[in-house]
Amino acid sequence: MSPIRLALVPFTFVSLLIATDMRPAAQTSQSAADIEQGKKLFQGMCARCHGLDGTGEEGPNLNRPTLTRAADDDALRAVIRDGIPDRGMPRVRRMTDGELDQLVAYVRSLGRTTLVATSGNSDRGGAIYARLGCASCHIIKGQGGSFGPDLTEIGAARGPSYLRQSFLGPAEMLPRGTAPIPGRGFTEYLPVRVTTTDGREVVGVRINEDPFTIQVRDTGNRFHSFRKSNVKDVEKQFGKSLMPSFRGRLTDAETEDLVAYLSSLRGAQ
Amino acid sequence: MRRALFLFIALSTATSFAQVPYPRIAGSEGAPSDWLTYSGNYQSHRFSALNEINRQNVGRLKPFWIYQVRRTGIVETSPIVVDGVMYITEPPSTVTALDVRTGRPLWTWTPAIPTDVIIIGSPPVNRGVAVLDEMVFVGTVHGHLVALDAKSGAVRWDVVVDDNKRGYYMTAAPLALDGRIIIGVSGAEAGIRGFLDAYDPKSGRRVWRTHTIPAAGEPGAETWGGDSWQTGGGSAWLTGSYDPALNLVYWGTGNPGPDWNGDARPGDNLYTCSLIALNATDGKIKWHFQFTPHDTHDWDSNEIPVLFDATINGRARKLVAMANRNAFYYVLDRETGEFLTATPYAKQTWADGLDAKGRPRVRPGLDPSTDGVLVFPNIQGASNWPSPSYSPQTKLFYQAAREMGTHFYKGEIKYKPGEAFVAGGGRAINGDDAWGAVRALEATTGKLKWEFKLLSPPWTGLLSTGGGLVFGGTEEGNFFALDADTGTPLWDLQLGAAVKANPIAFAVDGRQYVAIAAGYSLFVFGLP
Repeated sequence: MSPIRLALVPFTFVSLLIATDMRPAAQTSQSAADIEQGKKLFQGMCARCHGLDGTGEEGPNLNRPTLTRAADDDALRAVIRDGIPDRGMPRVRRMTDGELDQLVAYVRSLGRTTLVATSGNSDRGGAIYARLGCASCHIIKGQGGSFGPDLTEIGAARGPSYLRQSFLGPAEMLPRGTAPIPGRGFTEYLPVRVTTTDGREVVGVRINEDPFTIQVRDTGNRFHSFRKSNVKDVEKQFGKSLMPSFRGRLTDAETEDLVAYLSSLRGAQ
Repeated sequence: MRRALFLFIALSTATSFAQVPYPRIAGSEGAPSDWLTYSGNYQSHRFSALNEINRQNVGRLKPFWIYQVRRTGIVETSPIVVDGVMYITEPPSTVTALDVRTGRPLWTWTPAIPTDVIIIGSPPVNRGVAVLDEMVFVGTVHGHLVALDAKSGAVRWDVVVDDNKRGYYMTAAPLALDGRIIIGVSGAEAGIRGFLDAYDPKSGRRVWRTHTIPAAGEPGAETWGGDSWQTGGGSAWLTGSYDPALNLVYWGTGNPGPDWNGDARPGDNLYTCSLIALNATDGKIKWHFQFTPHDTHDWDSNEIPVLFDATINGRARKLVAMANRNAFYYVLDRETGEFLTATPYAKQTWADGLDAKGRPRVRPGLDPSTDGVLVFPNIQGASNWPSPSYSPQTKLFYQAAREMGTHFYKGEIKYKPGEAFVAGGGRAINGDDAWGAVRALEATTGKLKWEFKLLSPPWTGLLSTGGGLVFGGTEEGNFFALDADTGTPLWDLQLGAAVKANPIAFAVDGRQYVAIAAGYSLFVFGLP
């Protein structure tokens, strides 16, 4: 843990205590019930992306004292109410203020639980990352190829189970709605095969699309633009990925080491 | 010379007084150069008889001018065009008059909206104005109905429709009739008791108010448990239609309150999620038809009621059709409200069809729950406020359909004036699992004639024209023209932001134009 995070933890606890102390007594006595009620709301609405106990899945883990986009309760309320446009987080429509408070209370309570431990060793995981040649397609801190997603902050954005799945079976876990383009929850890095009316064929990933056009990057990382009126067929290969699967190519220990390495990638700390 | 001068004065007098008298709006089909009421005519066809732009030449369509709104926000305006002037609204409740030949503003008026204005249930938008005589009418998000001088934008009168502190607000264009300005309110998500009002255009005096929720003791009150009618919702938040011969106003009503938890309001909850036909003179309800009894999915029935006449089973009938938010397309007799037919026009999982009277056979177990229940159509419906179009040439009803499901959640019921009264919510399925289509339905039956697929569930209205075209937009920012007979795409242009508005057509100096809002701009297109 970096010194900066160590410094932040006590500060957050102090703020929470102050906030709790300032509440009227009646509300303080309800707070355990509020958290319990908030947990129910969370499991219904949030757990699919953030994991059952906030341990992270497709969405980031929430069981940490500071949340990237929610420094305080008001910011957290705003994130829940408004969502994060273009980042896959939908707005939660029309919750009552009471329900919103309960949800915030529960999410904040997660910050006081321990992180899910990844049993792996991140240094060994880094060596595996290098050995497998992941950098030919992925950038970390400015270094690597740009065909696949930038992984510089992937550990902050994804939970360990999602990260594990992402290299064991990438086709089953293509990212959705994490980037501003194409946005709105569309599948990103979707493999497509475009056949033009004059017989040309391009295989690559969809970058963007509308009813009249589609933009593609081919496997050589070259950009292509098509008008659909000039295209005979756009085959969208849902359930496939241009990233190879590493299932069966890593031991269980190596798998956990790579998860630990990816989890440690949290951008500038 | 003297005679010529006299004629000039007479003409200019004629245009400066009663510029848009009621008969001019009632006869708008015969004068397609202007666009005089929200949906183009009282029958709400959103059809323009203009045919200069047609199947043969639409491929050459080019931008004529572009106006950028002065404030950011969602621009959902449907312009009105009168004698060379276009009246639009900008979010949240600004009215601007533009020169249709150049796009240059002539005047703009912005109400003083309090910073603590309560807008629960929609973004702070406005969908357009009404014109009558020499005035422009607008409903505001702080609950006022305002009459502006059409020439200058000066306020003629300004009345409070109802208390915004309790959640009443307006986004819809008013409907101007003979001596009546009709306006409905938004606010069911704040637990209001909905109504439709008529005002005297000259003075702003309220002529009648008809509640969409009966009070205790009134007919229909038995469909509400306890005193739940008091917060029963039933907003009338979109513009209705009018049949001058029958003197009936047709208006859709919204969801019951609270939206997603029906426990405290056992019964059908009349007249929510209904179409009501009211006498324009006194506001008395002549008939009603409820599409979704005891709604718990927020499937308002405020969608545009489209009036047309046709022969069904050998009998000439006056009809009203609606592509309802609940995914069924309905055809009713508009004299009596008799149900004639309904058929799904988008995916739905909530009803095993309808009985002979049009009441849905609701599947059990699909009410919202704590864990969420997946139901089609989605929380915002298979249709919503964007307008359909009916072409008297093709006899087709054009609808941009939203193919999407939602996980519906149930929450606690807690009423506090001016706060959200919804008791739940939803998480809509999005991305590649949600899509849409422009669908052409045979108007008398709802039978699908053709469809043009869209990548995302649309928020576009449609316009059909005498040139055999259907205009619409996409969430990805395309504006397009389809062949009205076949759905074949004939022209499209990327506007750079999502289209969440209704298209219109008009003509000036003998040339036809088409207008649509997208992003923060209003675009006008014509042939070079």
